[in-house]
Formats: sequence, C-alpha cells, structure tokens
Amino acid sequence: MKEEDKRPIYLNLLATDLPIIGVSSILHRISGFALFCIFITSVWMFDRSLSSEGEFLSLVADLNNLLALKTVFYLFLVGFLYHSLLGIKKVLSDFFGIGEELKSGTIISWTYNLIFLLVASFLFVKIFI
Amino acid sequence: MSATIPLEEVKTLTLNIYRFDPGKDEKAYMQDIEIEVPVNKDLMVLDALLIAKEKDTSLSFRRSCGEGVCGSDGMNINGKNGLACVTPLSEAVKRDKLVLKPMPGLPVVRDLIVDMKQFFDQLEKVKPYLITKDEDPEQERMQSPEEREELDGLYECILCGCCSTACPSFWWNPDKFLGPAALLQSWRFIADSRDQATEERLDDLDDAFSLYRCHGIMNCVSVCPKGLNPTEAISNIRKKLINRKG
Repeated sequence: MKEEDKRPIYLNLLATDLPIIGVSSILHRISGFALFCIFITSVWMFDRSLSSEGEFLSLVADLNNLLALKTVFYLFLVGFLYHSLLGIKKVLSDFFGIGEELKSGTIISWTYNLIFLLVASFLFVKIFI
Repeated sequence: MSATIPLEEVKTLTLNIYRFDPGKDEKAYMQDIEIEVPVNKDLMVLDALLIAKEKDTSLSFRRSCGEGVCGSDGMNINGKNGLACVTPLSEAVKRDKLVLKPMPGLPVVRDLIVDMKQFFDQLEKVKPYLITKDEDPEQERMQSPEEREELDGLYECILCGCCSTACPSFWWNPDKFLGPAALLQSWRFIADSRDQATEERLDDLDDAFSLYRCHGIMNCVSVCPKGLNPTEAISNIRKKLINRKG
C-alpha cells in the first residue's frame, strides 16, 4: 500500500486544453472568490455612504480621486458582472437545458465573454479615463 | 532496365513523452524521442508510439484493438485526452511536436499507463447492469423502438476513461464524485425501460458529491472519442432528482 502512494499523478491545469466553457467556469470561481474578498470593502463603503450626507460626498470624492479605491470599486463591478453573467448561463442550462451541447455551450460562452469584455471596457473608460 | 522503387518521403517528428519507471525513477520526467514519419500519409498517434517503441523498447503504453473500440490507449495528447489509435497526427501535432502524457489525476503505473482502479470503483457504484424485480420472462425483455432509441448516445461508451480524467471535479474528488463516465452509465440504466430500480439508483445519487459536483464544464464532452455527451446525461439525472422531490 505504501509503495502505491509513491506513484506520481500527472495533473497540470495550465497544460490542459480546456474548452472556453471550462475556462469560463474557472473564471466564475475566481470572480466569486474575488467578490467575497472585496465584499468587506464594499460593505464599509456602503455603511460610509449611508452614515451622513457629508460622508457620502466625501466617499464620492474619494472614489473620484483615490486610485486604490477606484480599482477596488472597478474590480467589484467587473467581478459582479462576470459572476452574474455566468450565473445566468447556469440557470439557462439547469432549468431549460440550454447550452448542454458542446456547440451551443461554446457559442453561449463566447457570447457572454464578449458581452463582459465590452461592458468591462466601458466601465474602465467611465471610471478611469 | 531496372525499375526504381520510389523512396517514401519522410519528416522528423519529436515525441515528448512522460516517463516513469517505478523500478528506477524517483520521479517522472519528460523525454524527447525523434522519429521519422511519412509526409504523404496521416498516421495515428498510436502508430507514432509504436515507431518510438522500436527506438526505445522500455517505453510502455496500453493498446489492444487499435481502432477505437477497446478504449485501452486513452492518454493526454498535446493537452487533450483522447485515444491514440483514432487520433491522427495531422490533428494532434502542433509545431512538429507531440506531447504525450498519461491521463490526468490517476496514479501512474509506468510511463503512459495509469491505474484505473479509482475509475472502475466509481463505475461499480452505479450498478452498470439491468436490475429487474419481475420474474424472468420466457423470451427476452421487450422494448419498443422508441424506448430503445432512448439509449442512443449512452450504450456506445467504451469506458476508456478519457472523460472522467479530463474532469476537474473528478480530479478534486475522485473518491466522492462519480465522474462523467459512471454517471453516463447510470443514466443509461435509469433511461432503460426494462430497468426496475430507478428509485434506488436515484437514492444512491442524492447527496452533495456523487452527482452535484458537476459544474457543466463540458471537458468530458470535448474529449469523448465516441462523441457522447455525459453533461446532458448528468443534467437528465439532476432533473429526475428534482422532479421527484417537487
């Protein structure tokens, strides 16, 4: 039994040829984890915005001026966007059986990745430029 | 007058192969073996391996029928699982290089040979055989053509293991998640009009891991050498489980 445990197991995700559906699923996980990490900051921002009119205006000013805060806010938005888009795809698949063929699943995955890139680029321009 | 036999035009192909010999290697390594393949013929990956084995007889891999029926020579070909005997070099080779590794996630016995025990243990759990409770009929159990059609896309599975070993959910939980191959077999018997153990089969799958670890990545569909769709089979079982609860 001990000898068996020494046997190597080949596993290299980076060298694996995953379809776009698989890559999207991994990004969905990453975006979910990122959202979880940023959640505390977003709750702090929300709390600050509700505490008084002055705090709200100062938060708006910080969001306009502080690059770090802007970046966190942007990451929250794009993470939420990606997670939601893939969530919609999962709902379509689970409840209506849409995208369960490799071809249709691939087309749907490319479509929402494209939508994500367009909206994320738009948000980037709006927030940073 | 002497007739000249035209020499076959050949080119060099580098095979980058995963090597591990439990008798002498502490850990696995990659080895380059250069072979010559004809330019005008499209060989299969298995043919290339057989040529390489002539150069290095210690090279080990499983093979049997050589035509995609037995499912013995499943391996990772340039990052994608497939059967070496039905994968043409024209499809597999990238930049004159062919990287061959064992199927991911299972212990390597030697070189490209993996221990399939985990895979077959999971298959055994779904009881891949017809279960009947009635007395055996005098003749065979009948099915209408429509009932028989329900099994198309399911019975063709050759259990090569390409799908399950390409599934990230199976990599992380190979002892708890049954994997696409076993679940396709499960649906094959749930969908069979002659089977009388549907409820018991569904009961066995109704936990957090056995079935629900599938996240619809569809790598199983992407690699299946028989063009089957385990994701759809898993989805059908899931619907059946949800409907019986509702």
